[in-house]
Order: sequence, then structure tokens, then C-alpha cells
Amino acid sequence: MTQHLATRFTLYGVLLALALVFSFPLYWMAANSLQPLFTGMTWFPERPTLANYRLAFTLQPYWMFFRNSCLLALISVGIPIITSFFSAFAFARLKARFKGVLFMVILATMMIPPTVTQIPQLVLFKQYGLLGTYWPWIISGLGGSPFIIFLYRQFFMNVPRELDEAARIDGCSTFAIIWRIYMPISIPVVATAAIMSFNASWGGDYLAPFMFLQERQYPLSTQLMQVGYILPSSPNVDLFQVKQAALLVFVLPILVVFLFGQRFLISGIMTGSIKS
Amino acid sequence: MGKAERRESREFYMLTFPWLVVFLLMSLYPMLYGLYLSFTNFAGFNYENVRYVGLRNYNNVFLDSDAMFALGRSFYIGSLNVLFSTVFGFLIAVLLNNKFKAIGFFRSLYYLPAILPITAVGLMWKQLFATNGVLNDFLSWIGFQPINWLGYDHAAMSLLILLSWGCGGGIIIYLAGLKGISPELYEAAAIDGAGAFRRFRLITIPLMTPVIFFNLVFGIIGSLQIFAQATLLSSNGGLMGVPIRPIYLYLVHTFQQIFMFQRYAYGLALLWVLFIITILLTLIVFGTSRLWVHYESGERKGG
Repeated sequence: MTQHLATRFTLYGVLLALALVFSFPLYWMAANSLQPLFTGMTWFPERPTLANYRLAFTLQPYWMFFRNSCLLALISVGIPIITSFFSAFAFARLKARFKGVLFMVILATMMIPPTVTQIPQLVLFKQYGLLGTYWPWIISGLGGSPFIIFLYRQFFMNVPRELDEAARIDGCSTFAIIWRIYMPISIPVVATAAIMSFNASWGGDYLAPFMFLQERQYPLSTQLMQVGYILPSSPNVDLFQVKQAALLVFVLPILVVFLFGQRFLISGIMTGSIKS
Repeated sequence: MGKAERRESREFYMLTFPWLVVFLLMSLYPMLYGLYLSFTNFAGFNYENVRYVGLRNYNNVFLDSDAMFALGRSFYIGSLNVLFSTVFGFLIAVLLNNKFKAIGFFRSLYYLPAILPITAVGLMWKQLFATNGVLNDFLSWIGFQPINWLGYDHAAMSLLILLSWGCGGGIIIYLAGLKGISPELYEAAAIDGAGAFRRFRLITIPLMTPVIFFNLVFGIIGSLQIFAQATLLSSNGGLMGVPIRPIYLYLVHTFQQIFMFQRYAYGLALLWVLFIITILLTLIVFGTSRLWVHYESGERKGG
């Protein structure tokens, strides 16, 4: 019994140590964002101040970049979570020639490194005058996202077929079946897709904006990589606490979405790996 | 083909039509266009006199000592990253698979770093790695000499620490796999007298090989694409920063060629070489999977 207790004690110790490792950097960023300027790094802010947050918003047009991030996220989340529905239904429920081949294409596109298409896209978008516009994001959204199509398909496969057969006997068209039966029961998987694409857009989409957009259209993910916060009067002074404040505001939406939506997020990761 | 079948087929193509068009226009065409440009002298502006140059760009990839060096670094850091994130992710998942209080809380906390934006993670760790930063504070507190984390000798290790910190996605996937293993198997083995370590080796690991296989495939693809984490740790920082040699990765070199020197055609050749290497590695993993991935009889899961 004592042996057993000792084991449990050690395991809890390991759990807590890991918790510290995984959360400390974030805590440290928050702590230093509250530290007064020109004071060096700290483990704990003894005289916390919010002045850095004000400077983060005023030394750069932070709101402009924040709004850009919101706009890109709105496009990258809002369009594919709806358009992916139709392809996913077709792959889950309809029989057709070459369906297997096309589904392999969807799986393959998820595995192609994005840079292989992005660099030639840059050349093509330049020729067609699409640089500096949001068309690249809108057009790819209209086709749906391969990952979301896959996610929805896995969900639809588990919907009992009797449901659409009954609807067909009642004279529903395929479109009506999608609209009236599948959309309402799919809210959890739509939430999963929305959260995953929000994270991918807000934090992960930094290279495409760098290539396809003008600087004043950059989202925070691109902009915060590019420049530091410096003192306007002497550009050599790096305002490191202000940068921490700016980064914290940047990750805040991710944290909030995670707090409320992690159930959906985790189910999405599992669908992507196990059930295939 | 019956009438109903033909209607179903027509509807299938109507519903997938937008995806198909966008795939052809936005993925397949750019990819092939990029492949074509990699055989030309395209430099980003000379649209009028794009000339076919044969295999010159590809030949240059293998003559470019920087590219070969960077490829070596990408292999080195990439394989260690796959190894660490597999081992850490798997072991932490095994730990979380026990019955603890507040297990959900720990799981969320471990997963959190994996969803934080690269921008924030990179810049955050750059500060932690600073010579007067927290890690050195900690080292001197427990009685060690401070380390120049981002210097020549330790930069690769620091980058690997940063990457391993985000192993949470793997944890969730392994945990889901572990939950799928029937407890009766363990009970039966325990009755037969198998100790904890034997049960782990003979039940847990074989049954988890399909999940490990999945993570391995995506780990290899992702690891060779690592880029921003390295440039953010460079002294001048930013997306186009040049990291010091130990973490001068292949994609860093590629983006330098394209965005700093306008060598588009050459950069595309670099990308296609990496792409082909990725495909070959994935095929090797798939090909050898029969030897080590355990599938339950009659049912093929994973991948």
C-alpha cells in the first residue's frame, strides 16, 4: 500500500512538473508585459502597470493589424465551413465513378507542403492582379478546405442512412436533405471545423499574407514577426515589455476560443487521426 | 448503369464541382506551373523572355554547398524533432491515461502550447533563451554556468526545445489511441502474470503502432518544412531573418534565394527537390509499415 502511495505521489509530481514546463513561458510573457519599462526581465512584476498595453496600441497601428487579422479569419473560417458541406456530403453519401480517386486527391492535397503551391501562386497572382486583395483567400474558400471536407465526411458517414432515405421517400431533393437534415445535426462538427480553421488562420497564416498582401493589410501574425517595438526618439532602444504586451493581446483570442471550445478542438484532432 | 445511379453520379459531380475547379486552378495548376518555372531562367520579372534552361537549376541545387548544408541541418533537426515529439508525446499520453484527479485540466494545459501562434512562441522563446534570460537565471540558481542558448554550440538544441514544447497535438492523438485499447487485454495479461513493463511492451506499443505511424508520416512532412521557428530565433529576427549556421534550415535557404535574391526558378527547384524527398520518405514509411505496424485482424485502421 505504501509502495502504491509513493508511486502515485511521484506520478503527481511528474504531472505538476510538466504542467509548469508547458505553462511557464506564457506566464512569463504575461508577467513581463506588466513590468515597468527599462527594468529588465522579471519572474514576478512587483509594481505591475498597464502602460505597456497602451504603448503597444499607440506606437504601432495595432488596431489596424488586429482588424486585418479579424478580416482574414472571417474569410478563412466563414466561407469554407459552409462550402465544404456540399463536397463532404457527396463523398459520404453519393455513388459516382472516380469517387475513390477524387477522395485520394483530397487526402493527397492535405499532405502537399503548402510552399510548393504558394510560391507559383505568388507569380500567378501578380500576373492576374490579385496581389493586395483578399481574392486568394476567398477563391480557395469557395472550393472548401480539404481538411474540413474530410472532417465533415467522417461525421456524415456515421449518420444513419435511413434518415435520408426517409426524406427521399417524402420527396426531398438532395439539396433539401443537406439543408434540412444534415446542416442542423452537424453543429458540433461545424464548431470543430470553425475552431480549427480559426487557429490555423489567426496564428498559422503568416507567410501567405507576407507574400500576397501589402504591409498595411498584414495580420498580426505577420506584422508582429516583422518589427519590434522601439522608442520613436531612439530606434536602438528595444521596448521588450511592450512587445510582450502586444503578443499577449495577439494570443488572447486563441486562448479564449480554446477555453470555450477545446472539447470540439480535441474531437477534431482525433477524427483527423484515428477514425480514418 | 441505372437511371438512379446516373442521377446520383450527376449530383456527385454537381456538389463537388466547386472544390474540383478550385483544386485545379489554385493547387494543381500552380504546382505544375511552378514545376515548369523551375526548368527556366525566371527571376520574378522577366515574363517576356522566360527561357527553358533544362536541368541547370536542379544541377545547381546539388552544387550549392549552402543548400546541401541546409538540407543536412533540416534532416538532422527534423529527425530529432520527430523522435522527441514521438517519444515525449507518447510517454505523456501514457501518463495521462492513468486515473488522476483533474486529468482534463492537465491535458488542456499540455495541449495549449501546440495551438499558440508560431509568431508568439518564437518571440517568447527568444526572450527565454536570452543570455540574461530566465533559463540562465534558472541554471545559475541550481548552480550551473549560464549557457549561450542561441550561440553556435547550443542553437540546435534550443530550437529542438522550442519544437518539443509544442508536442501537445501528438499527446491528444496518442491518448485517443490508448483509450481505444480494451482493458480486458491488460486484465488477461495480468492474470497470466505479465508485469507492468511487459504489458506495456507487448500490448500498448503494438496496438499503438497505427497511431505512431500516422504521427510519423505527418511529423516527417512537417519537420522538413520548419522555417519560421528558426528565423525568429535569429539575431535580426523577422520572417526573413538569417539564423546562424546550426539552425540554417533548408526552407530558410530557399526563401532567402526567392525573396532576397529574386532567384525564383532556382528557389522552385529547391522546393521541388524537397518535395520529392518528402514523397520518397513518406513512401518508405508506408512501404515498411507492413513490417512494424500492427493491424487488428480483418480491420485496417490508421493512416
